[in-house]
Amino acid sequence: MKEYRGLTLILLIYKNIQLKYKQTFFGFFWTLLHPALYLLIFVAIFSNVFQTIPHYPLYVLSGLLFFVYFSEGTNRLCAVFLKNSHLIKSIGLPKSSYAITELGSEFVGFILGLIPFTVIMLFLGLKISLNMFYIIPVILLYTVFIYSIGIILGSLNVFFRDISILWSTLNPAIFYLSPIAFTSDIIPVNFRYLVYMNPLFHFLQIVRDVLYFGRPPSLHYSLICLGITVMFYFLGLGIFKLTKNSFISNL
Amino acid sequence: MMDHAIKLKDVSVSYLQSWNGVTSLKDFLMKASFLHPFRKHEVLHHIDLEIPKGDAVSLLGPNGCGKSTLLRTIAGIMKPDQGIVDVTVPVSPLLSLGAGLEMELSGYDNIRIALIMSGIYTRKNRRELIDKVAEFAELTSEQLKKPAKMFSTGMLARLMFSSVVVHQPQLLMVDEVLSVGDWGFQIKCIKRIREIIDNGATLIFVSHNPKEARQICKRGICLIDGKIVYDGNINKATEVYNGMFYQ
Repeated sequence: MKEYRGLTLILLIYKNIQLKYKQTFFGFFWTLLHPALYLLIFVAIFSNVFQTIPHYPLYVLSGLLFFVYFSEGTNRLCAVFLKNSHLIKSIGLPKSSYAITELGSEFVGFILGLIPFTVIMLFLGLKISLNMFYIIPVILLYTVFIYSIGIILGSLNVFFRDISILWSTLNPAIFYLSPIAFTSDIIPVNFRYLVYMNPLFHFLQIVRDVLYFGRPPSLHYSLICLGITVMFYFLGLGIFKLTKNSFISNL
Repeated sequence: MMDHAIKLKDVSVSYLQSWNGVTSLKDFLMKASFLHPFRKHEVLHHIDLEIPKGDAVSLLGPNGCGKSTLLRTIAGIMKPDQGIVDVTVPVSPLLSLGAGLEMELSGYDNIRIALIMSGIYTRKNRRELIDKVAEFAELTSEQLKKPAKMFSTGMLARLMFSSVVVHQPQLLMVDEVLSVGDWGFQIKCIKRIREIIDNGATLIFVSHNPKEARQICKRGICLIDGKIVYDGNINKATEVYNGMFYQ
């Protein structure tokens, strides 16, 4: 039973990647298109408005890439148990492995997409330095955060099918509440708390520290992100543990 | 003593079931069911069961009596609330309709998934195995290259069944899959199941066809509302089963 678990996990990741790009002519390049298109739109429309932000395209792109990873990752995890209902009903594989492999394949796509975009970022003004390596722990922490949110959504979605609809409706709201195309200081002071309440705001701070300013992530925001991640991780784990044994009867 | 393949002791299984058919947040709020959104539904009550290695057992009972839940509990897919489940042999994937299939992937990919899930797929033997599955399922390579969503129900059942019985499983659980295959394929499957039993495998067979059950099994278990009401000779068991419907 145990010895083929590893193989099964790899197969599931492979299957997910294959499924995502199946029957698409450009395959993998479609994932690059999403942030690229938004980048062009933002640069075309807002470049003049945000002349005070130096290297504006770089600022937008660094935020966009991480937002797209969050939104794709959480949306896929939201549907993961419904999607794999046949397997869940016929094989005693731990249910978390479906979520891990689902995010795993998204992670692979994100990292692969990061390579061409890093080249573009270098053209847009990103300076090569050893500080760039700080992005690795940031990405790992961010991935755990996405997993935690995703597993909450995924577990609840088994019981309430409109969670996925609700979540994809909320996504644009989160997008506009995150400082992706703008800096947070343009928001009126009395509404700024909305942005602070958004976990992505804090993650974008440390992402930009590394990919925009080329410096190590600030300790202050790193600790906030760590706290947020730990909190959501245990919340997610709790909800998942509480509900997982009842998945089968509701799938 | 290790001569039993499966031993259940005082096993009860239940799950949360949404109340009033609430399947969305909207219903949840509209029907004000948030006071009791879910209720615990006990499917199996205090099941005691022992199946020795090499036994072929037929599980009979009306729809919704807990047959599939019992199979899933044995397979380790569902966890019991109480009691002990002791399975001493490796479990093959449960053969039930549509299990383990990925509709977007090709027939070949689905065979690969099923073989890996059975734990018999290796780099060396994959070509040979896949050919054997295709041959048993009587599916051409042209058909198998198409995505599974283009298959008919019978073709899907053939594919799944063939992938699991291509080797000699130690514990085979068949949940009503045979009923969708055509007559010729059903005969072929029954022949193959017999071979597997003769080679020492343990079988649990769910079917609504008493004749089929008698052909394959010597022992029958009748389940009503999650309780075992009869456990013994297959002929008597099928009489009990028939009696459930002609009272």
